[in-house]
Amino acid sequence: MKIATRILVLAMLLPALNWLYVHTSYKSYLFEEADQLLQVEKVANCDVVYTSASSNFSPDPWHESHKKISEFIGESNPELLIEAFNIPASHARIHTILLRRIPPSSSIRTVIATVNLRSFGADWQNSILETPLNKKNVMYADRPPLLNRFLVSLNFYDNKSDLERENIKLDLWAQTTLPLERVKSNVIDWCAEEKWGDWTNPKRQLADQFIKQYAFVLDESNATVHEFDAMIEICKERNWKLIMHILPENIEKADSLVGSDLTDLMVQNATWLERRFIGKGATVINNVDLLPSSCFTDKDFPTEHYNEVGRRSIASSFSNKLKTD
Amino acid sequence: MLPHRYRWLLLLLASYFFYGFWKVEYLSLIVFSTVVDFYVARYLNQSDVQARRRLALSFSLFSNLGLLFFFKYSNWFMNDVLHPISFISDGNLHFWNSNWNFLLPVGISFYTFQTISYTIDVYYRRITPETNPFKFALFVSFFPQLVAGPIERFSHLNHQLFKRVDFDYANIQNGARLMLYGLFIKMCVADNIAPIVDQIFDSQDEASTQQLWAGMGLFGIQIYSDFHGYSLIAIGAARMLGIKLMDNFNAPYASLSIREFWTRWHISLSSWFRDYLFIPLGGSRVNWLRFGVNILIVFILSGLWHGANWTFIMWGAIHGFYYLIERWTGFSSMKSNAMKPIQWITTMLVVFIAWVFFRSPDIASGLDYISGLLYFHKGSLLLDWNVLLISFIGLFMLSDLAFSNGKISDWLDSKSFVSRWIVYALMIYSIMAFSGTVNHPFIYFQF
Repeated sequence: MKIATRILVLAMLLPALNWLYVHTSYKSYLFEEADQLLQVEKVANCDVVYTSASSNFSPDPWHESHKKISEFIGESNPELLIEAFNIPASHARIHTILLRRIPPSSSIRTVIATVNLRSFGADWQNSILETPLNKKNVMYADRPPLLNRFLVSLNFYDNKSDLERENIKLDLWAQTTLPLERVKSNVIDWCAEEKWGDWTNPKRQLADQFIKQYAFVLDESNATVHEFDAMIEICKERNWKLIMHILPENIEKADSLVGSDLTDLMVQNATWLERRFIGKGATVINNVDLLPSSCFTDKDFPTEHYNEVGRRSIASSFSNKLKTD
Repeated sequence: MLPHRYRWLLLLLASYFFYGFWKVEYLSLIVFSTVVDFYVARYLNQSDVQARRRLALSFSLFSNLGLLFFFKYSNWFMNDVLHPISFISDGNLHFWNSNWNFLLPVGISFYTFQTISYTIDVYYRRITPETNPFKFALFVSFFPQLVAGPIERFSHLNHQLFKRVDFDYANIQNGARLMLYGLFIKMCVADNIAPIVDQIFDSQDEASTQQLWAGMGLFGIQIYSDFHGYSLIAIGAARMLGIKLMDNFNAPYASLSIREFWTRWHISLSSWFRDYLFIPLGGSRVNWLRFGVNILIVFILSGLWHGANWTFIMWGAIHGFYYLIERWTGFSSMKSNAMKPIQWITTMLVVFIAWVFFRSPDIASGLDYISGLLYFHKGSLLLDWNVLLISFIGLFMLSDLAFSNGKISDWLDSKSFVSRWIVYALMIYSIMAFSGTVNHPFIYFQF
């Protein structure tokens, strides 16, 4: 009887403490540590949600313009109210978790999902940014907020160390065989080829990064593919139209640094994604080779960061393809 | 629900599962220690030939300490101790060097010391050895205290593991209270302090004098709340099973001397060193020089027990030297009330300065830190202080002085049901809503 009374008191206490938390510290914690959940409120009343990592905007303060791709698309489609989830280094899994938190009463009709080709590779999947992102994800789960906050303290997420992630990445690069005749059998061997020249040469260092980011062959086992599948499912459940936008990659630079072995792989992977996701019922816009190298702002690492000309071109191409669909 | 005679087997399986869950390969180490000490102890009990008994004891010590040395100290010993000594082989000059890459088995220092104490107690015929190897395995691996103590003695723990325990509400209540309080001080105090301490120690060149003093003080509170928190959780978990583990802390920061500090800090380790090293070395019944040497040996080894680094040796040496100064000057024996504040301040200064070396990556960084404390300078570090953290620290230090060890349970018993539940609710809420979010495993897990 004594124990039953205590369990009963505890059962009543926990919801009360959760209520207290929601009405006192919750918002300030989200604001400081997991502010993307606050964006859910912002996007709930729009027509189109644009989910992206940093590709949507110019991430460096010294770039000439900060207008986002989603804003350019909005200008071309003034009848639509477009809002964006802008989460640097994020990917489909995080966007799907946030989409699940959009209330059923929302006016959203369309979801635009940006697809970075790099996000399917070992480097992105095992990035050191994953641990902080996973930590934020705990707060996005559909559970009582106080419980989520407690689970963050208990490190209830994949919190591998930087070293562990680096080792996983190196193993994947060393062990995954590339089905290419002209190049070495895996990423590590390909990067180590002598023809790239001296390691101190910045061009060689950049070539190395391009190989590491894009040298993979997509298939059904890829984890990011499954993350997008989950996004397709939630869009079907909520009756939202899903448009998947395969973003431009710096193919021109990849060709000049590494050659067609790599660019063929990039185009082949983008085409595989296009076919696969169309087969799953999504609308796919494949812009992987849309932009020249001059539109990419980062010169020492392959990214999907574009200057204003690039962002405008992407938005324009996207809108045109939407209209012709 | 399980019949009494099988309960210990469940505990053994649970303990092995608990340890194996972390890294199953390292279960073999604990099994090895268990087997060696079980059979050595039985032999020691049966044999009357002193030379053979001594040999058997040496074998046990060599096996246990050998494992500990290999996993914990071999890299450091080769690279830091032997490396400066070159040797010539094949006509070439070589340096000792080692880069073995393995994970330190969690809790190895704790269970190794526990099994060593068992074998030595059997050797001196203070206890009768266990006759069932599986029961002995439970003594070695009992999960609440396996990975970070308290380091138990066979005579205290063994009979409790196998006695009949009927359901007792008081055990559940007291155990749960200790665990709750332990979680509170670990998660709300230690884990919230940790990022600030890390920031100060990692960027000590950018810290102001005040920040360096704060960092030193905060690390002392962090390590105490972290380790004391774990000990309380372990003691509470065991209490819920009807087993009373020894206390590990008793308000150490209220100590008026280093000697007193060591009767209040990590009690299970300090009493281990007293009983199995200091007394066999001659204890205090030797001349003053030998006594001084004995004290330094004990303190330096207790520093080294914490980890393979010169900083731990320095930490132990500071305690040892100050212990001797106190003893030889009679400073700690002065009983007047007027002296107490001076004794307390001096003791705390020594304890906290020693913590700087404990926390620093190397001796040079520790010395830099200490020198930074001594002259006024500005800094550029921005620290994330908040009222809540200061309140948690204040609450912890006050409660520590007021209810050391299990006395918090007695205090709660004296309160009404409603008052008790208000305290529980505040603790649960603080743990769930305000605990630290940076991943900081228990500090003593690495030892």
